[in-house]
Amino acid sequence: MSALHPFSLLAIAAALPAFAWILPAPGGALATALVALGLTLTPGAGPGSTAGWSTPGRRPGFVTFRTALVSAAPFWLFLLLLHDVPTMVRMGLRITTMVASFVWLVAALSPDRLVEAMVARRWSLAMAYLFAATLSAVPILRARARRIVEAQRCRGLSPRGSVANRLRALRALALPLVLSALHEVDERTLALETRGLGTGVRRTPLAAPLDRTAERAGRWALLLLCLAALIWRLA
Amino acid sequence: MSVRLLALIPVAVAISLALSAAVDAVALPLFLDTTGTILATALAGSTVGIAVGVLTSAVNTLRNPTFWPFVVVQIIVALYAGLAARAGLFRSFKTAVPAGLGLGVIASLTSTPISYFVFGCTTTGGIALTTALGKALGLAPLGACFFGSFVSDFGDKAVTFALVAAVLHALPRRTAARFPLALRAMGAT
Repeated sequence: MSALHPFSLLAIAAALPAFAWILPAPGGALATALVALGLTLTPGAGPGSTAGWSTPGRRPGFVTFRTALVSAAPFWLFLLLLHDVPTMVRMGLRITTMVASFVWLVAALSPDRLVEAMVARRWSLAMAYLFAATLSAVPILRARARRIVEAQRCRGLSPRGSVANRLRALRALALPLVLSALHEVDERTLALETRGLGTGVRRTPLAAPLDRTAERAGRWALLLLCLAALIWRLA
Repeated sequence: MSVRLLALIPVAVAISLALSAAVDAVALPLFLDTTGTILATALAGSTVGIAVGVLTSAVNTLRNPTFWPFVVVQIIVALYAGLAARAGLFRSFKTAVPAGLGLGVIASLTSTPISYFVFGCTTTGGIALTTALGKALGLAPLGACFFGSFVSDFGDKAVTFALVAAVLHALPRRTAARFPLALRAMGAT
């Protein structure tokens, strides 16, 4: 499945939760949940670079399937706590569809391929940059946040005690992180300007993912099916 | 959009997502997941804030799929923060905290229907438990859901606004002046 065009993967992951909410429950939601969970078992649904769920010795497909189940389980528990059993089943199946679809998407979709696909589709380079730069900036800043927490602890910062004390500690932890990140904006701006991002010149993708006619037709078919189902339900 | 504002967006998204480490360290019931949205809005206006909010929701969705439907809340937060910045409400804690409390009410009013109809008020364990508490107190299901959202959002947005005000005032004036709205947001113009 990961060989599919990134837009096709996105379309499937978006269509399944849409069908789960549009089609009558519990039958419709059960069908979509089974399809979504089935997708997590397909070859190629291994954990992607952003997921980090890989467990040595396990089949990647099973890891994705297990992740989907583990992610959906708390919702069933909370639904049972707050609602009656029919509501729990109806909403639980819909949420399971949504969770399993996105867990599968994260496992099957490579962000690099998505960026290449966006560039090949002549989306602006700025859009592709935003997506790629965000995915790379998040782990860097998270690591820096952990270092700041450790450094402040070494300096004697106590993050426990009264709420006021904790809020003061939060300020001491958050300010260095946010300020250092903002100072990075200057460096990034300079780097982007020297690479000609502001000139509006389009980039040529190095390895654009293949977008077959059948896949394009499939995406349109999914959209039309969603609309038809919605009209049928509203009628 | 200028290259500087384009460079600000991924950094602001990463700030929103990285602050969870600081929150975990102090063990307070806060999210601070709109910090980047509010900060970017205070620095550069609502358009940049909306971009940060949508991107934050998209990236958060890769970790937890339940975040995506709440993208509407991020957009409302950016619009509200834009108005607050233009009114110079980040000039001190005395103005920023009440503005944050106001956002807490608006954010919980916005997130309640999403949480109720899409997730049955089960978005996080904390919200589910406070919703259960609201039900135990005799509130109607939607009222109990609002109670759960309100408890989590009210303080969170006030702390976020105070944090953004602290950041703006800690920024060197020369750095702040490079962003179109920063000086106005902190009441310096």
